[in-house]
Amino acid sequence: MWRYLGRRLLVSVVTVAGIVVVVFFIMRVLPGDAAAVRAGPYASEEKLEQIREQFGFSDPVPVQFVNYVKDAVTGDLGTSIRTGGEVTEELLIRLPASLELAFYSVLLAVVAGVPVGIAAAARRDTWIDRAARVVAVLGSSMAFFWLGLMLTFLFFFKLGWFPGPVGRLAITTQPPETITGFFTVDAALAGNWGLMGEAFSYLALPAVTVGFVLSAPIIKIVRSSMIEVLDSEYVRTARALGVRRREVLFRDGFRNALIPVTTAIGIIFGYMLGGNIIVELIFAWPGVGRYAYEALRVNDLEALQGFVIVVGLLYIVLNVVIDFIYSWIDPRIKLGQKVVA
Amino acid sequence: MPAESQSGASERFVPPRIDGGATARSLVSRKPLAVVGMVILAVYIVLAAVGPFFVTDPVATDPPNALLAPSLEHPMGTDNFGRDVFARAVHSARLDLTLGILIAMCAMVIGSAVGVVAGYWGGAVDETLMRLTDIVLAFPGFVLALILVAVLGNSTLNVGIAVTAAFVPYFIRLTRAQALSERELEYVDGAKLAGNRSARVAFLHVLPNSLQPSLVTATLVAGWAILTVSGLAFLGVGIKPPTAEWGVMVSEGARDIDAGHWWTSFFPGGMIVLAAMAFHFIGDEFGGREA
Amino acid sequence: MTLLEVAGLTVGVTRSPTSILANVSFSIPAGKIVGLVGESGSGKTMAALTIMGLLPDGIEVRSGRVRMDGRQLMDPANLTLRRRSEDMAMIFQHPQAALNPTMKVGRQIARVFSLQQGSGRSEAMSQSIEMLRRVGIPGATRVAQAHPHQLSGGMCQRVMIAMALACRPRILIADEPTTALDVTIQAQIFDLIRDLVAETGAGVLFITHDLAAVAEMCDSVTVLFGGQVMEEGSRDDIFRRPQHPYTSFLLDSVQQEVDPDVVEAGVDFELVGCRFGHRCRYAWEACGEVPDLFSVGAGHRSACFLHTVGENRVGTS
Repeated sequence: MWRYLGRRLLVSVVTVAGIVVVVFFIMRVLPGDAAAVRAGPYASEEKLEQIREQFGFSDPVPVQFVNYVKDAVTGDLGTSIRTGGEVTEELLIRLPASLELAFYSVLLAVVAGVPVGIAAAARRDTWIDRAARVVAVLGSSMAFFWLGLMLTFLFFFKLGWFPGPVGRLAITTQPPETITGFFTVDAALAGNWGLMGEAFSYLALPAVTVGFVLSAPIIKIVRSSMIEVLDSEYVRTARALGVRRREVLFRDGFRNALIPVTTAIGIIFGYMLGGNIIVELIFAWPGVGRYAYEALRVNDLEALQGFVIVVGLLYIVLNVVIDFIYSWIDPRIKLGQKVVA
Repeated sequence: MPAESQSGASERFVPPRIDGGATARSLVSRKPLAVVGMVILAVYIVLAAVGPFFVTDPVATDPPNALLAPSLEHPMGTDNFGRDVFARAVHSARLDLTLGILIAMCAMVIGSAVGVVAGYWGGAVDETLMRLTDIVLAFPGFVLALILVAVLGNSTLNVGIAVTAAFVPYFIRLTRAQALSERELEYVDGAKLAGNRSARVAFLHVLPNSLQPSLVTATLVAGWAILTVSGLAFLGVGIKPPTAEWGVMVSEGARDIDAGHWWTSFFPGGMIVLAAMAFHFIGDEFGGREA
Repeated sequence: MTLLEVAGLTVGVTRSPTSILANVSFSIPAGKIVGLVGESGSGKTMAALTIMGLLPDGIEVRSGRVRMDGRQLMDPANLTLRRRSEDMAMIFQHPQAALNPTMKVGRQIARVFSLQQGSGRSEAMSQSIEMLRRVGIPGATRVAQAHPHQLSGGMCQRVMIAMALACRPRILIADEPTTALDVTIQAQIFDLIRDLVAETGAGVLFITHDLAAVAEMCDSVTVLFGGQVMEEGSRDDIFRRPQHPYTSFLLDSVQQEVDPDVVEAGVDFELVGCRFGHRCRYAWEACGEVPDLFSVGAGHRSACFLHTVGENRVGTS
């Protein structure tokens, strides 16, 4: 077990190192004058020179690389030319907003997608199954920006059921004292139920937008792994010995189907950790995705590069966590071999 | 009479069989969703191929007729510059569909070639290539494409390159796995014994047999590529206004929506989703059970 | 005394004219072991799943009767099978695959006790350990805490049998129970099944393609091919006085080389008449129809037109 764990960690470290290197090459070595990109189209020659000096672009590439790696290892992702702040710090401030949205989106996707997937598997080739497949295809074909826009139009402008796209809370509302960074949790911890309700109402539309799209892969995976389990010999045994259909479905079926489902949820959550640039833009959500968008608009490459590194890192960390969850669900795996879905 | 005819197969009694055997069922009843996808896709392709010759100029403005609601004359209404939304959507169909299909094809060709190399030769080549795809796959495809366009600069070609790069790793993984199992099969040994060099064996024998799952994935990727391209355009990355492109149109239309002018964003966005669905229906049905 | 009676069972693929089982009948007396014999694809397992009410999707019962002690198990109106779990229990070919991989084996047996007798959790657990002892598992308390992947195949088959016995079934269906196990384990499992028959008086439907196992275990035998009953009779009838060309072929195939054309022809489910027709060296025009089962001795019947022309002994060579 420890050997496996060691190997797993080693691979992760290699991947993380790879991410850092790849980002460096994308940002500095690809065609185009990095200084010119940073300075904008109308910069004077002196200004360009000054930027080259400031960012060390006049140094040879290997020297740039060593400096960059040294900084990255110590957690220094540079300074944003847009805000003048430390990129690492600015990302950390914005991360909780993205994580809260990601958490509730994935939660919604699981809560909605798992029952639909189970129903589709249990009633294979009926209209329920076909409807579930159409929903899954609709979800995986959905454009975030269009769904977000249409939901806002319908539920804010037309019906007025949910607040408009202005962020995590109304502009006039004082956010709760930071404990976890999740407004819903912090408000509850402060006993401020009204504030918690408000936080939820602002979360609703963006979380539904993302949750709907994410439910598609969950429906597909739950369906196919449930079908595999329901067709298995041990489910046939349970039925042969008089175990009721409902118990077979949930006790034998679901627990075994959970293994591939965990992988799927992990991967999806991993992708969401980096925030969703489009959804954060539409709903003015102050997370890392929106930070990346703002950086992109003014060619703030330091900030963008920091964002990319953080996204990659979080993804890798999550993957290791999932490996641990596996061994808890499936007694056959003692962190030895992975079960492929 | 019961003759003990042991003399040969030709004289053996041939028993009668059920007429027709198992009834052949049409594609419509076996894969109804794939047929739906193909029909939608066919409509899009016709629209993209001949539509632009029949509609008005997609970029010419006509301010007096700005923001007209959908009518017979303007089936999808007009935008805030008075441009016909339907005309723009039709022109965009040509652009987005071409991009989506080309990206999927390029990603498949590049990814399959690299995947065969990794899977067939194995060893250090394989290990290196797999670590590289691990790294690339650690980023959401959209973020990767976004960064690449940001660095390469805004142009339709660069969008194509960036989105292709984001999808290549999927094909590498897929083809490598196929190649790994294919190379164990006997026909590869046979081809080698027949004196073929290993490069020839890899590309001429292993690759064609690894192709089927790649084609299914390519169909799905064409759908995702359209979503990615239009998503980038929505953010103002890559394809820019006033080009008629679905994502650009939704982005521009978003400004009108709070005044109740929903059609400028609803229709182009709907076109994106429907196009992606068409590809997904086809890919899903032919991809069998895997997610 | 006949316990289970299956008559005229016809089972087919939904929306297809072919039938996987055609007019299959057999019966199981209390305290006896009845063999259901045939090569793979002959419909043995399908017959068992039908009377268990466990047919997979896409396979439907077209006609037939299943009676237990004179009580109808299959509703004649809609041909669905309703059985009580104390009527029948079944054990399967791959014992390891047949147990839930994420549940401890003790719990899996205890669950059956809870269902059968409404035993509480701890009571069911002690019953299940008791049952593990009864099927000859040493260290039953420890084994009860194990997951299936930690046990050997033979051990898993004992667990499987323990689960089946927890139902207190009057009929036990054993579908190739030892095919996946090695020979010494096979002998132990056979002993166990025989002991249980002697002890409980249950009837056993023993499904196998292994003629040696049939000779060792069964009181009577039904030979199945292509979903049709070829021949039925006592063990001695089948092994000493086979009447059907297929039975002879089957017996020959154990001892000597047989015509490879006959073996490789497989099963053709689209034949209108006798399914052995295209492989049978005696086949003639009459075989384009399905032969009845002709009585060829006391309790011994064979489905072949040869018996209509007086040539009622094919004989082994």
